[in-house]
Amino acid sequence: MMYGLPVDFVPTGYDPSLFMLAGYLLGLLATLILGAIVLGILTLPAFFLVLFGVEQLASVVAHLSGAFAAKLVVIMFRGLRRAPLRTSLTYVALFSLTFVLCLIYAVLFLINYVTAEKEANFKAIVTHKTLIPSQMPPGYYEEFKRVCLEELPPELRPVNGDLDLMSWSFVLTTTDKTNPRRDALIFLFALEPNKVLTMMDGLEELTGDERQQLQAAADEMMRNPQAIVMSKRQLKTLNLQVGQRVKSYGMNYPNLTFEFEIIGELPEGRYEGVAFMNRVYLLQLLDAYRNDRTVNKTGEPHPMAEKCVNLMWVRLPNRMAFERLSALINDPKYFGKVPIKMETASSGIGSWLAAYKDIFWGMKYILVPAMIAIMSLVVANAISISVRERRTEMAVLKVLGFQPRHVLALVLGEALLVGFLAGIMSSGLAWGALGSFKFQIMFFGSFFVPVQSLIYAPALGMTVAVAGSIGPAWNAKNVKVAEVFARLS
Amino acid sequence: MPPAQPLVRVRNLYKSFTRGSETIDVLQDLNLDVGQAEFLALMGPSGSGKTTLLNLIAGLDQPTSGTIMVGDNVISEMSESELARWRTRHVGFVFQFYYLLPVLTAYENVELPLLLLPLSRQQRRKQVETALELVGLSHRMHHRPGQLSGGQQQRVGIARAIVTDPELIVADEPTGDLDTRSANEILTLLDTLRSQLGKTIIMVTHDPKAAARAQRVLHLEKGQLVHDTAAAPLLAAQAS
Ligand SMILES: Nc1ncnc2c1ncn2[C@@H]1O[C@H](COP(=O)(O)OP(=O)(O)OP(=O)(O)O)[C@@H](O)[C@H]1O
Ligand SMILES: [Mg+2]
Repeated sequence: MMYGLPVDFVPTGYDPSLFMLAGYLLGLLATLILGAIVLGILTLPAFFLVLFGVEQLASVVAHLSGAFAAKLVVIMFRGLRRAPLRTSLTYVALFSLTFVLCLIYAVLFLINYVTAEKEANFKAIVTHKTLIPSQMPPGYYEEFKRVCLEELPPELRPVNGDLDLMSWSFVLTTTDKTNPRRDALIFLFALEPNKVLTMMDGLEELTGDERQQLQAAADEMMRNPQAIVMSKRQLKTLNLQVGQRVKSYGMNYPNLTFEFEIIGELPEGRYEGVAFMNRVYLLQLLDAYRNDRTVNKTGEPHPMAEKCVNLMWVRLPNRMAFERLSALINDPKYFGKVPIKMETASSGIGSWLAAYKDIFWGMKYILVPAMIAIMSLVVANAISISVRERRTEMAVLKVLGFQPRHVLALVLGEALLVGFLAGIMSSGLAWGALGSFKFQIMFFGSFFVPVQSLIYAPALGMTVAVAGSIGPAWNAKNVKVAEVFARLS
Repeated sequence: MPPAQPLVRVRNLYKSFTRGSETIDVLQDLNLDVGQAEFLALMGPSGSGKTTLLNLIAGLDQPTSGTIMVGDNVISEMSESELARWRTRHVGFVFQFYYLLPVLTAYENVELPLLLLPLSRQQRRKQVETALELVGLSHRMHHRPGQLSGGQQQRVGIARAIVTDPELIVADEPTGDLDTRSANEILTLLDTLRSQLGKTIIMVTHDPKAAARAQRVLHLEKGQLVHDTAAAPLLAAQAS
């Protein structure tokens, strides 16, 4: 259960049993490979277009320079283009291989990224020690701030003071009181708007327009506690627009009625399905409830009044600060009402991922290498068959006077070229297109294909292609033409 | 018929193959002269070494011992890469199964050996067109082998063999895979190459009718050439 989020909003709908997950991953893999093959087929025209373009270039060079190497390249291209079926199959195989590799690499990269402990300036998260979802009294946040900013030794305090602290309250509301359907729900994080851009994972790195807009919205939310920002997708689901006001009824805060003013959108691909509100507004409404005799005859505080802080965050300068603060957090002198605990943000995710640790380990060190090895073998073998088929052709070239190294260059060059193009196209597609779909992973950031893929994928494509053709190419290079023909005729 | 200076001179040629522990002596102390612009047919039982001899004369293989001269070149002493360079300019090959590259057009197939020579594009085109015209396939230049009949493919093969203007053409059963009519056309073409362009032609065949088109027929038996119908006296004179 991540950070004690309401169950519905933990973005994993499946049974977390390891077997199911393993099956799920395998299914995913099969789908992925199929998808990659389809994509490979779809990109065939582009591939041949590129091939044709490069060939034209090569023949101009060959024509101008008259260099034999250039002529060889032209022969190679012709061979590729004139044997479209063979070339297509090789391309699709290499494309699928490198495409799948890119995605798997991206996933592993992401897992590494979120679980890696940052040594300096890392974030720690404070929650109720045992309760899920975590609930803490609002006074705890004030005390937490004080402890961080005053009790810690000065060199261990958050560098930016108050700006390095933040609290989150999860507020689930519905615009339809009588029938709170899923598409009438608004799920909000109540927080301090001025810290959104500095403290929220996935938003700190925004630049340019998106950052400016969000900054403007945060400023407005500071002035107007009823102002909220919402993800595009949620606006669409609710059929609302920026600028509208909306009345929404508390669900985990019964009997509170929120009157929001939507003043902006969240950048795409981040915090989908979530809205941000000013925590001041939540506290105001909780206060107002106490004196509202229409719903609260007895004048008791709201049942949630002492449970309305779900998470607290702090950015700390180093490990030492974390250790010291951790001791203070566990001290009932400061936090006596309910017990709380502190973890680093990555260990927060890390402990959630810990359940799947074995699977990730297996994925990284067994499944992925095994898969790459198997796919590479299959692809290399297919290439090697297609080269062996042309043994006689190679022998004929040698009879005509082509040197063994020419034959080797022809075969390897062809393999390198197709491997390179397939790798470039698959990683380019994965990196460019998938990167901009901005798949959201959990609430933070978006799925992205690391730019290194643009190097690794073509490298793998070329390696596999060469691995598949080096053996038969070497044979073709060394073949005694006399033998080929004596036996054949 | 053979003029004073033969184009091909084979002296004391031995060729044996080892297969495992076993040694097969295919050619033993073989001597042969082939004159300029001569059309020679080689016959003999299967396995007698006809292809082996042809490969040696064409520089595709090296003899166990003995010398082979073609023109001024002692090809039996050349390295493999020297042989490759030499082949491009001096020998044309015609195969029983044509061995055209299926992905290239007739034109491109014929052009292949020219790529190895320092020629301009225009020169290459001219030579390719001349060769294809000679074999009567100007109208099929841009067809691929798959779109041509066996006889036509063999004519492309011949065009490829003559495109670098070599003095020697070797053909290993060039009509072995063709019907009588196509075979006759090919044989006529080979004869034209000899009579009009002065090419020396050595052809291996199993077919006596094909052999009859040559000026001289030699039989290969037990590693030696026998029954040299036209020039037996000459050979005998040289041997002594
Ligand atoms: N590279 C080789 N290694 C071992 N033995 C070989 C090799 N090439 C040929 N031979 C053997 O040498 C002998 C002569 O073969 P060659 O192909 O020259 O015969 P051929 O007269 O052309 O026969 P055919 O009429 O069937 O084509 C055969 O016994 C053959 O098995
Ligand atoms: Mg033979």
